[in-house]
Amino acid sequence: MKLSRRDIVKLSAAGAAAVAFGGQAKADTTLKVISLGSWNETVTSEGLVKPIKALLPSVQLDIERLPFNQLMQALDVRLGARNADPDVYIVDGPLTASYASRGHLLELDGIVDKSAIAPSAVIASSYKGKLYSAPLANTATVLFYNKALFRKANIAFPETDPGKRLTWEKTHEFGKALASKAEGVWGFAWDQSERPYEMLPLGQSLGGVALAPDGLKASGFLDSEPFIDAWTFMQKFYSDGVSPRGLFDIPVVWELFSSGKLAMMVGLTAAWDTFAKSNVEFGVAPIPCFSSGKPVSTTGGWTFGINPRSAHLDQAKDFIRALMNPATQEAFLRARPYPPFLTDMWARMADYYTGDMWKIVRHEYETTAVPRPTTPGYREYEELLRLALRDIQMGADPKTSLTAAAQKVDRELRKYR
Amino acid sequence: MSTKWWIPYAFISLAMLGLVIFRFAPIGVAIIGSLQTVSLTGERSFVGLNNFTDLLGDPIFWQSMRVTLLFNLVINPLQVVSAFALAMLVLQQGPFISFFRAGFMAPMTVSIAMTAVIWGILLEPTMGPVNGFLRWLGMAPQPFFRGSEQALWSIIGIATWKGAGYWMIFLLAGLMAIPKEVHEAARVDGAKGWQRFFHVTLPMMKRPLAFVLVADTAINFLMFAPPYIITQGGPNGTTHLLMYEAYQSAFAYFDYGRSMAISVVVLVMILLIVVLELRILRPKGAR
Repeated sequence: MKLSRRDIVKLSAAGAAAVAFGGQAKADTTLKVISLGSWNETVTSEGLVKPIKALLPSVQLDIERLPFNQLMQALDVRLGARNADPDVYIVDGPLTASYASRGHLLELDGIVDKSAIAPSAVIASSYKGKLYSAPLANTATVLFYNKALFRKANIAFPETDPGKRLTWEKTHEFGKALASKAEGVWGFAWDQSERPYEMLPLGQSLGGVALAPDGLKASGFLDSEPFIDAWTFMQKFYSDGVSPRGLFDIPVVWELFSSGKLAMMVGLTAAWDTFAKSNVEFGVAPIPCFSSGKPVSTTGGWTFGINPRSAHLDQAKDFIRALMNPATQEAFLRARPYPPFLTDMWARMADYYTGDMWKIVRHEYETTAVPRPTTPGYREYEELLRLALRDIQMGADPKTSLTAAAQKVDRELRKYR
Repeated sequence: MSTKWWIPYAFISLAMLGLVIFRFAPIGVAIIGSLQTVSLTGERSFVGLNNFTDLLGDPIFWQSMRVTLLFNLVINPLQVVSAFALAMLVLQQGPFISFFRAGFMAPMTVSIAMTAVIWGILLEPTMGPVNGFLRWLGMAPQPFFRGSEQALWSIIGIATWKGAGYWMIFLLAGLMAIPKEVHEAARVDGAKGWQRFFHVTLPMMKRPLAFVLVADTAINFLMFAPPYIITQGGPNGTTHLLMYEAYQSAFAYFDYGRSMAISVVVLVMILLIVVLELRILRPKGAR
């Protein structure tokens, strides 16, 4: 068959259209990503979408942001359906083993360069020696304090030198002096007063170990004397009117501090931006420890993982590669003040990680940081301890609550043996 | 004219299909699931009645059972009596009566989840406006959902705030359907107000009351949103209703078999109580 010139033009046009539509189809691959609600539009756009899209122009990102307090429950409901939704999702570091053991995470060995990541983060993001989640943002807590309220009460500012950090006893004493019922001012609060993340260091400061070394037994650990003593002391903050009871939303506690109604707050470094935009003159100091104990600080943070049932596994892997690119990590960390997981980022962003807060955080990471327990049952462990901490805050007997919680944790951890 | 036998079935077929898909199928899934255990990676295996026998020796289950029974023992009569009182109130004719009827019905337009969110904020002990108002009046602030003594009662309060107006509509319709002549005849016979209420109104309201009580019982045994959104079953387990425990079991502790077994126990309890209620409220002469 002989082709006329017109036929050739037609075929060329059809071919071009096919290529164009083929390209369009590829460009239309959309990854469903679950992320964190507190990363607002700007953080999500500047810190995640733009840098990743710059590296992956052919992938569209459908980002769903879930509030922190509902994140774990919502993820468990969604993942429990064992279907292709979502493609990629945010993982709280210690939950990596939990999701991996239930078949909800794709192994990332070979996709992520582990040598670039802080060794403690590699351990936290691994299960049975294999990496399952890609670290994005580490976390740390410091003591924020309201300078005006300290001046008014004629109390010297807490020292920034970690060697001269406040004790919990002194913090309670200062909090009592700084609180004013008449003016609606509270002396002190944790921004995550029900979460093991911020509460475990109290017991660990007194020598407590949060879980058995094999990660499968809580009795004798969680209900040991150091934790009972530590959380009995914590209860005094609430019973003495130093801390507000029942504030379990991070943004609400931050709002209290930003509006000048809270004198001291142990909270995430991420609060810095919020406080800097408020009219409150504030300072930072290392988190307190007990006078008879040792300093212990928090660590561990946000990572991302791939749903192994995703219909777009190749694109999801590309997403993880793009996420681990230093340019993406830098863009994100500049959008939201977290410490980095990639060791080189401290030097790469030396202009950013300056000032008292970051000096304290680096010191804590090097000397006092203790990760949360590593166990495939961390979800159950956290949930049961969270409910016990709530009850203790409301006035329940710490020993009874912790003994009951430890027994319940043991029961739930049996299935991982 | 004779009607073909299948025509009535054709008319109700769509409704029946909905009933099968949205009611019977989930119940079937729950019953089958209660006889199985699901491994961490999703494999199912048959375990017979193990999940039920485990529940018998489970103190957390029995604590939830106690809370659920107490909750229902209070809330069901409270909601029905409140709804009946409201219906009697708005049955009267007078100025602005439509306004009051609509006002009492308004909470039913808010979902139970939104109700929980709104009341969770209003009754928040530290910064909530209700405690702010109490302080302004010179009264001591209350712990509401955060206090072991008040949490369950606070949930009963908000559920009644939402539910009473809804059930009022059915009872109001029942009251309006009572022929005026019956009341007139009783009045002519010299019956006083309370006598007419007990000997005329109440007996003639047995059917609507039975419906309201049965439907209300089912809804309240399945109450989930307020403990989930506001109290998380606390403080000290005082609001740990069975449905919340079933949810926790499935999605926090990954024990799906136990979760399904709890759901089946709740279903059986509802059935037994509903049968009892229907027997008690059966109108005289009805079979």
